[in-house]
Amino acid sequence: MDTFTQNTTEIILESISDGVFTVDHEWKIMSFNHAAEKITGISRKDAIGRHCWNVFRSNMCQDECALKKTMQEGKSFFSSSTYIINSRKKRIPTTVFTSLLKDKNGNIIGGVETFRDHSLVEELRKKLYDSFQMGDMISRSQAMRNIFKILPKVSQSDSTVLIRGETGTGKELIAKAIHDLSPRKDNPFVAINCGALPDTLLESELFGYKAGAFTHATKNKPGLFATAHKGTILLDEIGDTSPSFQVKLLRILEEKAFLPLGAVKKEKSDIRVIAATNKNLSKMVDANTFRQDLFYRINVVQLKLPPLRQKMEDIPLLVDHFIASLNKIRGKSVSGIDKTALGILMAHDYPGNIRELENIIEHAFVLCSKGDITKEHLPSTLTRQSMIEIEDNASQFPLKAAEIKVIKAFLRKNNYDRKATAKDLGIDKSTLFRKINKLGIKLPKIDGRFKR
Amino acid sequence: MKIALTVWDERISPVFDSAHTLLIADIKNEKIKNISYKSFDPELEARFAEELSLLGIEVLICGAISQTYSTLIEARTIQLIPFIGGNVNEILELYAKGNPLVPTFLMPGCSEEGF
Repeated sequence: MDTFTQNTTEIILESISDGVFTVDHEWKIMSFNHAAEKITGISRKDAIGRHCWNVFRSNMCQDECALKKTMQEGKSFFSSSTYIINSRKKRIPTTVFTSLLKDKNGNIIGGVETFRDHSLVEELRKKLYDSFQMGDMISRSQAMRNIFKILPKVSQSDSTVLIRGETGTGKELIAKAIHDLSPRKDNPFVAINCGALPDTLLESELFGYKAGAFTHATKNKPGLFATAHKGTILLDEIGDTSPSFQVKLLRILEEKAFLPLGAVKKEKSDIRVIAATNKNLSKMVDANTFRQDLFYRINVVQLKLPPLRQKMEDIPLLVDHFIASLNKIRGKSVSGIDKTALGILMAHDYPGNIRELENIIEHAFVLCSKGDITKEHLPSTLTRQSMIEIEDNASQFPLKAAEIKVIKAFLRKNNYDRKATAKDLGIDKSTLFRKINKLGIKLPKIDGRFKR
Repeated sequence: MKIALTVWDERISPVFDSAHTLLIADIKNEKIKNISYKSFDPELEARFAEELSLLGIEVLICGAISQTYSTLIEARTIQLIPFIGGNVNEILELYAKGNPLVPTFLMPGCSEEGF
């Protein structure tokens, strides 16, 4: 290398924002550029001549050194899941690229490591993630973000709210978020599944009883309406209550007072009621199985939660969210999920909605302690089902079956938006239409463009 | 006094957070006794600091360490000597004789003031 080229290379190395250092065969640092000084907080003077692991201090140094792999295998490596620890005990997320260092005759004289500080990217990612979050709920779907947008206003009012959604869609989480954002947030939030209890037990749970009200009632027991005074109560599965209970509930909502079992005097109730159901109450009203007056009383504000199959774009976000929270609870260090496993999750229909997805990740945590969740960590029913779907047609037309499966999965992921699906698949929109027709893929009567 | 070091072959593990092996030893009258090794993985064990405490560790010598782990260890009143790099035997010998490890074995870029 002539002097001019060498000077140019040095100037370039000094002006780039990526950290670069080189090591000799004894892993001692030979050069350390300005960005490397800035990212690690170590001066060139202190770094040169020291072992690279004592300077770079990455989680990869001990067992997964990319530079060592490069020196052994003679090829470059890239790693994105690394961090270094600076002298202020701060973890700095980095990406790393390694390659061989050769002299002008082509002899290997060491290795080069280039690294990039990803703190800003991580910070922005976190900010973006926070914008998809409300309380304990997380979603990037337009339907949910519309709910997130109005939730603060709904919370500030004291109106009764009716939450509709299939089982496992997060009705209780929405109710809790409403409570936490409301002026009642410092008082109790209680929830009860009305459909799970017979009338007498439900009434005793809600309104409490007085001593002597029935056999074994030896002392007064306050009900949830008393316990949650000045707070919020969620009456879940309201559509499963009996007509006689509906009458009592309507009276309480109108009079703002309730009568404990065995009592002679009504007790005042200052409580916000949120009702939730997985049923279509207006149809039940038409069929005379739900009281119309109660329906109007609780249906002041209605929030409809979409099922997970209609917001498949949430799956990667939810998976990350569950992994992060389970890592904290279980003290594990699962880093994420690999593409194959995520593909299987994206292809599932989730009759149990978000709760089902959470259970799947919890199952994976039993088998996976660190690194990525892979196909092997998922419940066998899920992986088998995904294989069966392919194998059903695969015996005769394996490629066709696989193509159908992939296109269907991406269509679902994009909420049946054909343009977005084509983009994700890396094909033209007209090619996608041709394939859909040729493969006989039936599409639901929705158009993702207007849902997004 | 019971002492522990996070080790990687003959040297101190450069990063405590991703270390796997603890060298545990007793120091009595400037002599090193009862050296044993224990597998551990702080990223897997939520209660690793409690375990160190249960093992009777009074001093922990390690490489670079993140704030979370540092706080957990010091909350157990274990004396932490972090950002140390070099040969384990040399470090152990020096420490047993009551000599300071800093600045001789201090990792580059770390201030002596914190030790």
